[in-house]
Amino acid sequence: MPTVTIEPSGEVIYLEPDETVLSGLYKAGYAYTIGCRRGGCAICKVDCRAGEFHYNRPIADTVINETERADGTCLSCRAVPDGDITIEMRGENVRLVNPFLRQINEKARLRAEAKQAADAERLTSTTTKE
Amino acid sequence: MAVMRMGYVHARVTDLAEAKEHYANTLGLYETHSEPGKVFYKGWDEWDHHSVVLEEGGVGVAKFGFKVEYESDIDAIEKKAQDFGLTVERMSAGDNLEVSDGIRFTSPSEHVFEVYHSQKVIGTEVGTHNPDAFPRHLVGVGVPALDHALILAENVRKMEDMFKAVFDFFPTERVQTDLNDDDAHFIASWMTCNNQIHQIAVLEGEQSKLHHFAFKLDNWDQVGRAADLFSMDDVPIDIGPTRHGITRGQTIYFFDPAGNRNEVFAGGYPAYRDRPINKWTPDAIAKGIFYHARELNERFTTVYT
Ligand SMILES: [Fe+2]
Repeated sequence: MPTVTIEPSGEVIYLEPDETVLSGLYKAGYAYTIGCRRGGCAICKVDCRAGEFHYNRPIADTVINETERADGTCLSCRAVPDGDITIEMRGENVRLVNPFLRQINEKARLRAEAKQAADAERLTSTTTKE
Repeated sequence: MAVMRMGYVHARVTDLAEAKEHYANTLGLYETHSEPGKVFYKGWDEWDHHSVVLEEGGVGVAKFGFKVEYESDIDAIEKKAQDFGLTVERMSAGDNLEVSDGIRFTSPSEHVFEVYHSQKVIGTEVGTHNPDAFPRHLVGVGVPALDHALILAENVRKMEDMFKAVFDFFPTERVQTDLNDDDAHFIASWMTCNNQIHQIAVLEGEQSKLHHFAFKLDNWDQVGRAADLFSMDDVPIDIGPTRHGITRGQTIYFFDPAGNRNEVFAGGYPAYRDRPINKWTPDAIAKGIFYHARELNERFTTVYT
């Protein structure tokens, strides 16, 4: 259950597996500068400060150049986190435009965390019995 | 009699399989040829072999093709292009699949334009003998034809001059800083060579870039239906359905799976060479572009491929 932490405010957003950073943030009620949402216009770049991600589609070299492929540049509409990641916005901050969606996302995160903890505990107790 | 129309757009896409899903199944173009890394399409009401070519690798536009009526027009346009200061090269029949010989040049905006006089004729999907009104089994939106394109250029006035001098186009509408053309800076220009309100438009912006290419629809109903289909197929809608103040067209801007902007465009009033040009000043540009929202979203000038 990947989470995206947004610096500098430190907000934590829960993403479904295979969900892109952009999709996750918008579904959680946040907005920032985005364009085509299909990897072509390059406007939704953010910086990845910690953690790993991959692109779920080929990205044109005119959109992400060779340097950007290694320097943490993250084209958020095509970037899928491999685990928890931390991102920093470029030249703006995310805006919380829908607190209702934010609340739904927060509950989804807590549920997922609780389930993970329960699964871990079940695994531990099974191991102990053997 | 020189250029008849913009005949084809050759665009780049990052994933050909996804692009095919969009252009064939959502927009309903007819595939006329496919080879590794490339696909050719036409709309149901087009008779030439193709109006859209998609090539895998990158995004944006590779080139545009303009069709002239007679073979002899090619020489005349070559001469006009050279007189305008462009470097023109000859292309051979077959350089483009099923397209005749012709010429190729790079515009001052760094877009590649080709001029040709014929393409293999396939015929419309309803034929010419006692034709029906439309094909019964259209797929998705079922766009009948390519309509126009909007490209970006650093120097809009120069591009308008080029289209006038080389292709004998005329502007129908413009965004300009002053109503007096001599004093004005041209921000955008909409141009055509026939009664279609525009075939090409140029907006001030980054050289060689594509803003969008558009497909024809008949009316509001069809535009609304297209929007429904875009929701069904998870096509990102940029704006619309709405109207453009400029051209009066009814429209949706949306994105293909590679992020190239497409449009469906209906209506628009008939263009005439002697009709006075509609001039929009920057204070009304938002209403000119998006007649209902009257607000120029940030994406209009910042998002392109
Ligand atoms: Fe358009």
